[in-house]
Amino acid sequence: MRVIKQKPMTWGERLYIFEALRGLFTTLKHAARGLFRYEELPTISYPEGQPEVRNTYRAKHRLMLRPDGSPRCVACGMCAAACPAHCIFIEATASDDPRIEKKVKRFDIDHLTCVFCGLCAEACPVDALRMDTKKISFEHRSREEFVAHLEDLTNWDPKDYPDDEQSQVAPGGTKNAEARKVWGMEVK
Amino acid sequence: MDIIESKTWIEWLITIAKFAFCFVPVLYILLLIPMERRGAGFMQDRQGPNRSYIKIPYFGKIRLLGYVQNMCDGTKLFFKEMFAPAGVNKVLYYVAPAIPFAIVFLSPCVIPWFGPMVFEWGGQMVRIPGSIIDSDVGVLLLFGFSSLSAFGAVLAGWASKSKYSFLGALRTSSMTISYEVCLGLSMMGILLLAGSFNLTDIVSWQEHHVWGIVAQPVAFFCFLIASIAETGRAPFDVAEGEPELVAGYHTEYGAMQFGLFYMGEYSHICINSFLIATLFLGGYSVPFITTETMQAHMGGSLTVLCGVLAFLALAFLHMIHRYSKKLAATNLTNRFEILREYKLYNIVAWAAVVVLVILAFFAWFFYNPQSMVIGGVAVGSLSTALGTALIHLLVLVVKSVIFCWVWIWVRWTLPRFRYDHVMSLGWKIILNIALINLVVTAVIAKLVGGN
Repeated sequence: MRVIKQKPMTWGERLYIFEALRGLFTTLKHAARGLFRYEELPTISYPEGQPEVRNTYRAKHRLMLRPDGSPRCVACGMCAAACPAHCIFIEATASDDPRIEKKVKRFDIDHLTCVFCGLCAEACPVDALRMDTKKISFEHRSREEFVAHLEDLTNWDPKDYPDDEQSQVAPGGTKNAEARKVWGMEVK
Repeated sequence: MDIIESKTWIEWLITIAKFAFCFVPVLYILLLIPMERRGAGFMQDRQGPNRSYIKIPYFGKIRLLGYVQNMCDGTKLFFKEMFAPAGVNKVLYYVAPAIPFAIVFLSPCVIPWFGPMVFEWGGQMVRIPGSIIDSDVGVLLLFGFSSLSAFGAVLAGWASKSKYSFLGALRTSSMTISYEVCLGLSMMGILLLAGSFNLTDIVSWQEHHVWGIVAQPVAFFCFLIASIAETGRAPFDVAEGEPELVAGYHTEYGAMQFGLFYMGEYSHICINSFLIATLFLGGYSVPFITTETMQAHMGGSLTVLCGVLAFLALAFLHMIHRYSKKLAATNLTNRFEILREYKLYNIVAWAAVVVLVILAFFAWFFYNPQSMVIGGVAVGSLSTALGTALIHLLVLVVKSVIFCWVWIWVRWTLPRFRYDHVMSLGWKIILNIALINLVVTAVIAKLVGGN
């Protein structure tokens, strides 16, 4: 056990008045800063100015794409199992590609229930689910609209992720043609 | 010929026009609310409310630097439903909020807004006092009025049939009683020096000797603390007592009834700051310059006044310019809207600067009124008297605004006191200091000045 002994107040501090004046001086400094250096206040006026979002910020989800544009998800259900909020709903069907067993038919994430813990992205064995869209505002009219469907999750532009190689593999990206060759499909 | 009470129409006109000063505390609410909200914001490194706007057709949004928020608050309070909880005393419940607000119109009557206007009119010398009621018991009258506002709180607490309100009302009454004593006693020193209860005499004594704050620094301090406590603001807001009593005596009030309490509180601050400025900061007197000097060089005084105002306008322009530069560099989506608004302010402020400079020029070179000598006393014309009154009034307003700021500053800095601490501070410390100060002042005044 650690005992922290509080230092007894000195005579000047016990008088209160000098400490009060010191406090008043501090607030006066801040008030003067606000009045004469208004533009240097740290506030971001939000809807007009957006805050800077870091790369590691866990924002809205997205599903990564194969070179042919289909979602990379193999419908294994790991993310749904890992989700502590039970907000991911997956339905699988048989895949057209003989090399892959299943593909995803329905992939819903309820963003009203989601706690943005990032465990789904951690759990994904094929790196299909990511949370790096930097979309931090969710505003919709009804509860249903907060549920992100497959189309919504796969609807992203590789140009928004120029530094990410995996995103460039998707259709429209700089490495799409190369990846298609590797993947074993014709380049149209 | 002596200074006589004439009955010319100009005297009647000015006497009646002086009643407009009754509305000053109410106008101060418009100043105090934005000052409080934005001041609080600045102290906490926030911006404060700055987003409400008026939409002007063909121009865009006008935010008036956040001032529009005032009107929004007022409109909201005004149009909310007035309600009374079941079981209240209907009459008292509805009357109570009006009392502190009605007092507000009475209190400014005794404050001298400008020095006595002495001017020549039709071959006679006219003298008009600066206060609405030039009473010899001025200060006592003012204290009487300001203690009356406690009735509002007490009646509200009693009528609204709520334990919280009742406790708040009890606390208000005890606070008012104890701090009125401190207030009166700490003021006694300066009354003793000036030898009069008349506020005009006190101010003219300060003008010719020293300011009250120099003559009576201890009394000034006690008076300041006691009057902050008397208005019931933080750190002495035990009557509203948010942590313990929900909102004190106005727990059960909403809408404009609450608004009246709120406005009464702010007006009380205004009146108390006018009183402090009058008693301890030389009231309407201009620092280091006597009224006679100012009247003798009326043109120069007006030039200096215009110069000060022009300087303020230029400072405002500089701030706007710096902020626009910073704003233009950001990528806020509404930056062009705000920049256009700032351009409007720029134009207005430049126009003001030009007008003020021209006025200053004309006042310096072309306005040199001659004073007449009537009965051995130099007496100016009506315009000189009006100019003096204007300068006096502005000086008084500036001084009182400084004290209004002290109220807000103290509120947003110091933590609130516990109820028993407030009482012991009042009765055991401030009262004793004020008494000792009074005795010392009396002894010194007797030794030095004779009577």
